[in-house]
Amino acid sequence: MDIARLLIASILVPLFGAGLLWIISPAGRDSVRKTALIVTLITLVLSVMVVKAYPKNGVNGDGTTEIAVTDIAWSGNSPAAFNVRLNLGLDGLGLWMYGLSALLMVTSVLVSWEAITDRPALFYGMLLLLEAGCLGVFAARDIILFYVFFEFTLIPLFFLIGIWGSEDRRYAAVKFFLFTLAGSVLTFLGLLAIVVWDYKTSGAGVMRFSISELTASLGKNPLPANLQLWIFLALFAGFAIKVPLFPLHTWLPLAHVQAPTAGSVILAGILLKIGTYGFVRFSIPMLPDAAAECMPWILWLSLIGIIYGALVALAQGDMKRLIAYSSVSHLGFCMLGLFAFNKLGVQGGALQMVNHGLSTGGLFALIGMLYERYHTRDISKLGGLARRLPVLSFFMLVFTFSSIGLPGLNGFAGEVFILVGMFQRAFAEAPLATKCQLMAISVLSVSGVVLGAWYMLYLVQRVFFGPLKEEIVGHGDHGQAAHASATSHAAHGHDDHGHGAEEALPDNGIVDLKCREICALVPLVVFMFWIGLQPDYFLKRMSPTLTKLTQGAEESVQKTVQSQPSPATRLTQMAAENGEPDRVR
Amino acid sequence: MYADSITIGLMSSEIILVGMAMFIYVVGAFEPKAKVWPWIACITYLVVLVFVPTYETPLWKQVVANGVSLNSSLIIDDLGQFVRFLAVPMGLLFSLMIWQRKDGELASERLGTLMLAVVGVMLVGRANDLTLLFLGLEMVSIPTYVLLFLGRRDRATAEATVKYFFLSILSSALLLYGLSFLYGLAGTTAIVGTAQAPGIREALSGVGTTTSLENMTPMATIALVLIFAGLGFKIAAVPFHFYAPDVYQGTNNTNAGLLAVAPKIAGIVALIRLAILLPAAVGAFAWQLALIIAILTMTLGNICALWQKNVRRLLAYSSIAHSGYMLIGIAVGLAGGAGGLSGALFYVVVYAAASIGTFAALTYLESEDKPLQGTDDLAGLGQTQPLAAATIAAAMFSFSGIPIFAGFWGKFGLFMSAVNLATTSTNRTISTWFIILAIVGALNAAIAAAYYLRIVALMFFYPSRGALPAEGGKASLVATVACGLAVVALGVVWNPLMDWSKIAEQKLSQPGKVAVQIDNSDAVATR
Repeated sequence: MDIARLLIASILVPLFGAGLLWIISPAGRDSVRKTALIVTLITLVLSVMVVKAYPKNGVNGDGTTEIAVTDIAWSGNSPAAFNVRLNLGLDGLGLWMYGLSALLMVTSVLVSWEAITDRPALFYGMLLLLEAGCLGVFAARDIILFYVFFEFTLIPLFFLIGIWGSEDRRYAAVKFFLFTLAGSVLTFLGLLAIVVWDYKTSGAGVMRFSISELTASLGKNPLPANLQLWIFLALFAGFAIKVPLFPLHTWLPLAHVQAPTAGSVILAGILLKIGTYGFVRFSIPMLPDAAAECMPWILWLSLIGIIYGALVALAQGDMKRLIAYSSVSHLGFCMLGLFAFNKLGVQGGALQMVNHGLSTGGLFALIGMLYERYHTRDISKLGGLARRLPVLSFFMLVFTFSSIGLPGLNGFAGEVFILVGMFQRAFAEAPLATKCQLMAISVLSVSGVVLGAWYMLYLVQRVFFGPLKEEIVGHGDHGQAAHASATSHAAHGHDDHGHGAEEALPDNGIVDLKCREICALVPLVVFMFWIGLQPDYFLKRMSPTLTKLTQGAEESVQKTVQSQPSPATRLTQMAAENGEPDRVR
Repeated sequence: MYADSITIGLMSSEIILVGMAMFIYVVGAFEPKAKVWPWIACITYLVVLVFVPTYETPLWKQVVANGVSLNSSLIIDDLGQFVRFLAVPMGLLFSLMIWQRKDGELASERLGTLMLAVVGVMLVGRANDLTLLFLGLEMVSIPTYVLLFLGRRDRATAEATVKYFFLSILSSALLLYGLSFLYGLAGTTAIVGTAQAPGIREALSGVGTTTSLENMTPMATIALVLIFAGLGFKIAAVPFHFYAPDVYQGTNNTNAGLLAVAPKIAGIVALIRLAILLPAAVGAFAWQLALIIAILTMTLGNICALWQKNVRRLLAYSSIAHSGYMLIGIAVGLAGGAGGLSGALFYVVVYAAASIGTFAALTYLESEDKPLQGTDDLAGLGQTQPLAAATIAAAMFSFSGIPIFAGFWGKFGLFMSAVNLATTSTNRTISTWFIILAIVGALNAAIAAAYYLRIVALMFFYPSRGALPAEGGKASLVATVACGLAVVALGVVWNPLMDWSKIAEQKLSQPGKVAVQIDNSDAVATR
């Protein structure tokens, strides 16, 4: 079948699926969730078929990097109206995020299986709407269509957090919505300004909204420097809040902690990446000079995010909060790589977007599973769970290692590329002041890796190893029994030196992962190993697109270097000026 | 003075509606309790909406084929047609909302009065004469006074009615005063003239007058200010907004909805018709005035709405804020930018759809003995009344401009026009101010989202505090759902309407183009 049709179908299937759920909602929770699972699975199959069709070396025969392109008028086709088009397609940048969205949605449905009892049809309906939005964001080739999907994702997540979240969910939902909206309305103005500038200078005579056409046109007639900077800042407002970059991150931990498990998985796994995606899709290729100019600033903010996020994560007592702050840190790494503008850095940044989705999505799913069993996320209330829940602990270890970048797993590939890219940027020729800054950023960013390993291993050690500790909060009869058995076990262990490990645990009604939960996690693990062992498979498909998108900014950085004297000449000049002040006057 | 067959044909909708209104009034006096009046009213609207265009459109097309056409005091163009096709569904929806009211004997009065207000909006849409325009506006206002006062007799209603009545009269006087300056400048009451008989548009663009444009500036400026004052009241723009919260709160939801929609449509259309006459004579002050009022209106409306606890008060401030957005388009139009007026026109439609939907839902939810007052009453609505809650939620998201709802495209059109003008204008002042306007507008959208989301959060995130009476009747629910669907449908299929509004603007702002007076062979055009 035609790939373009498959791509459209993959976005429409969840959309109609949501409608279907509304119709069958009287049939009860079980049929609703089964239907939702089937819909997400169909979508996954469709999206896998689309992703598989992508050329292996990332370039089509004719040099383009996009597949599955559909381009139809939105409605009607009159010269007077805005020529906003239903323009969809996938290139190397959106490819893996698109696939990841389809994959994580299946995981989300599976982790919500038992947890959601209130208004299930609405829940799964919102989840499917969110899926349509996420898939659409990464496939949109029209600037307004992108924004439509971008904003549309807010609505389902608002409901997901606000209805099915934890205690403080209402505040979290509103804060999440308003923060994101406040930034993205400015982004909207920036995008409109780009369209209008193209209209004014290209001579096409009509307003064009196609992202590829706009990128090409702005490459030919770049915006003047000051306008570029303003538009860059406008786009920055929305994307940086979404990422989130350091001072704008305050909505994230709140939203993550309050969201239901599925919401956290999607939020961390996909929605945050829309911010980084936006930078690479719009800010860097369309406004290369402004991007080059702002590079040190953004790198500093990313670095602060990396270290600050990691330090705050270390201090958390709540597992979900810890992972939420680790997201701030990891997304800082993504930004670091993307704004290094060189091949390695950008590839690493783009790969890390996928990696973080897999590992953090998985971690949130696991914490949700733990919460279903123990009704607490408090690190101090749990311990030694590896004995009670060996399978869950195995997954936890894999995800942790992926998150901290153990060689052989996906996180390693991403982080190494990012750091090498960053050092390359720092060693590249640059004015002295910039060079010093870049050096400092590169060196300091390495500490983020160390800190990342620290807080994650600390979490794993406290919760999964050491003496068994299962404090159960609000679990009814189960809770009482479990608590009693846990303490009795501790007393027992003292008499029976060193034999605790072999002896059978008293049954407290808490069981290890069920088949359903394993099914939710296994695909993530497969991809972690796949990316870790064969990153080339993924990078080759992304690379040409990424080069195309960032080369303008890289050239712009080099241009500024050439126009300014190199550090050595600059030093001699300074010496000359100091030595002979009179002559200068 | 007598009319010819072409005029009668072009006016057939209005004639049918006025005739039916009279019929409902007169016969309703003898049969006050009959259940048939709402049916008759709704069928009348449907007939007008379906059958008359099939009769009228060919005629209209033929008349309009050679550009903008005039027929006695009527102007036949796309703007007029746009407004008429907006007014009739509006009347239909409001008729559905008053279907079930308990004081059945007043039903015929309500329906007839409403029908006259609808005709008023339609007349404003195609008036090409200051007198007809003013009469159209009054035909919107006077039925509204009656509707406000019908039925309820408590102090709040009396206060609301009296407040609205006096301020409305004051605003009419201001508008009339402004119109008299226009007459003084041009020596005619015709807005758009022909080659043989120049109208105000020709006079104020320096065609066929002996007075130079510079000499006209002082008087034209006064006219502009007074017109903005008079029409600013109709659309509840700052500083003429302060009646709105009190009046909305004092009356019932149906009337509040009518106040939020009908005068707004009429006011914006009249502003489009009148204000674009003036920039040539007034100069930069025209757009400056509109821009400042736009900024103040949307900011003040949104910020005041943040603290409201009463539903109708909140919606009143929200409707004030939306006037501010529409004025963005007017300001762009006055500064000579393209897309502004059509943006405002499109915005009126999406605003009307969401507003009517919200007020219809509120009408459905309350009972006459237990009117819906506080926003807290809406808590838990998502579970007790899913349809009404879904419509209100869609309207709220549309108001805050979130895709895929219609309001997003409304904001898209307006912001696009402002950014377009700012980027393409060679005048630095215009560039700076319109980019500020766009940014203020965008930030306002985010501020507004705060209170719209509060409503959505109340409906879906909080448990119910006791079921609402929901005695507004099935008809209100039909109106509610229809508007909810319209808000979504216009969000998905927005282009035809946007297209039409753009055509309306293009036909409107062709100053060089001289209109053609239709040759009424068997009639004497009235001047």
